Amino acid sequence: MTRWLIALTAAVCTTGLLAAADPPESYEIPYRLTDTKHVLVRAKLNGKGPYNFILDTGAPAVFIPKKLAKEVGVKLDGKGWSTFDRFEVEGGVAVDGARTRVEDLFQLEGMNGLGLAGAELHGVIGYNVLAKYRITYDFTADKLTWVPLDFDPPDPKGIGRGGQGGLEVLGPIMKVLGGLMGINPNFEVRGRGFLGAETEDRKDGVYVKSVLADGPAAKAGIKAGDKFLAIRLGIGGMQKARRIDIDTPRDLARALAEAKSGDELRIEVRRGEVIETTAVTLGGGL
Amino acid sequence: MRTATTFFAAIALFAAAAPCPAQAPKADPKPVVVPFKLLPSRHMLLDVTLNGKGPYKLIFDTGAPLNLVNSRVGKDAGLLKKKKAGGGFGFGLFGGVSQVEVDKLQVGDVTAVDLPAVVMDHPTVNAISSAFEDEFGKIEGIVGFPFFARYATTVDYQKQELVLKPTDYKPADYLGDLMTRLMSASEKGGKPRVVGAAGLWGFSVQPADDKEPGVLVKEVFQDGPAAAAGLKPGDRMLTLDGRWTDSVGDAYMAASLVRPGRTVAVVVKRDGKDITLKVTPTKGY
Repeated sequence: MTRWLIALTAAVCTTGLLAAADPPESYEIPYRLTDTKHVLVRAKLNGKGPYNFILDTGAPAVFIPKKLAKEVGVKLDGKGWSTFDRFEVEGGVAVDGARTRVEDLFQLEGMNGLGLAGAELHGVIGYNVLAKYRITYDFTADKLTWVPLDFDPPDPKGIGRGGQGGLEVLGPIMKVLGGLMGINPNFEVRGRGFLGAETEDRKDGVYVKSVLADGPAAKAGIKAGDKFLAIRLGIGGMQKARRIDIDTPRDLARALAEAKSGDELRIEVRRGEVIETTAVTLGGGL
Repeated sequence: MRTATTFFAAIALFAAAAPCPAQAPKADPKPVVVPFKLLPSRHMLLDVTLNGKGPYKLIFDTGAPLNLVNSRVGKDAGLLKKKKAGGGFGFGLFGGVSQVEVDKLQVGDVTAVDLPAVVMDHPTVNAISSAFEDEFGKIEGIVGFPFFARYATTVDYQKQELVLKPTDYKPADYLGDLMTRLMSASEKGGKPRVVGAAGLWGFSVQPADDKEPGVLVKEVFQDGPAAAAGLKPGDRMLTLDGRWTDSVGDAYMAASLVRPGRTVAVVVKRDGKDITLKVTPTKGY
């Protein structure tokens, strides 16, 4: 009997695995919330990118600006529509024959002009692709769930005003009301400087749990058991020198948040009964 | 520094969202199914009751950072009585915008309390309303992030229903933050954003000199979490926790979203083969 059960369980498990392998029943799609509370996913268009897209039930279709259409080499049909050869969403979704509107959206331009979202926004994904999936947005999770539906969404209709069947009014309807205020945003991401130290949060402060061999902390002579007291920033640099007391994990996080690779710090630690001040040059690393 | 504050706020949110074993287990909240209508323009239309008044027809929009109603609904539901101090700052430009708080918003069997909203006659909402009014009635606003972010929200266009299940997520006050962001945008004046891993991984990356996907693993620090998982210098990292790592910036961004102690997949190409490693970053810098 037991043997039967085991065999049965094994069979069920195997079947489950096979079913899950091809094609997946659901996808875990990585997303980020932008500073403007938009749901951002990334997509590669015809193998190029990744580009940043907002998931937008307020848009009838995928929208990309003209410049991007040119960059990824999609051809227009004369009515402002185009079709991607390949449309891949980060997390493993590949949408067959995804159609897109090619149009410059002032809302995205406005946000990008101000750098409001904290990331450059390249386009939006609307109804014609969203409707092919049952999508769950849960902001306590770090992935969205996309379940493919056996559903071919009908083409959206315009609202019968203006040119192009009124579709231009149906771009994302309520993005940020951005203007152009002469701000020059920079979307470049730089890695934070690397210390190579494992930390431990205790009631009375933050301690070094271990240092990675050959890492910047180890090279500077920081040792396991050291207690962080303070960090001095802006040594020999353009910035003003600052001393930050380290009483809590948050203090340490704040002190290091803007530090870059190559920055020189002074780290003040208590080692036993002695207070040591060590010069550390941050490296590159994660 | 502002970026950093936002970043840590995000971390704090994640931390707050983590299950807390010390608390008594809460009964799993029941998901509620709410049907919606689909306009010919493919907007989702909901019947929404505000402060017991209505129902009003509002568009459900995942791309909207705000809840918004027109001035008629604002008056009818008594929203304008509860204007927020300093409401409408930078939006004064657009005329007639008030920031208000909705005491109670009901959609189907779902009730949400104390929600921010703006009262404004939005031209696009008006245009959609006049196009479809004959068939669907007046359309008078938008339900966006401040509402649906409180739930695990599932959108099913095939069945034309929303499924809402309450979560512990607390959406931040969007408009309150906006002014700060505008200020910091001019302050920062075009400096790159510094992004750090949320934990200690113990390896470094460098850009590859071709256009193929992935970044090159440069150093792997002995005894670190990445070394323990079997990462090797020369590996080409394709994804970290399911996120593409096609640039050094991408690698930091992906690692910024993984809390220490969580085990995630790192996919690398080594000798032409894709290998999945399981890495658990620790707390550190």
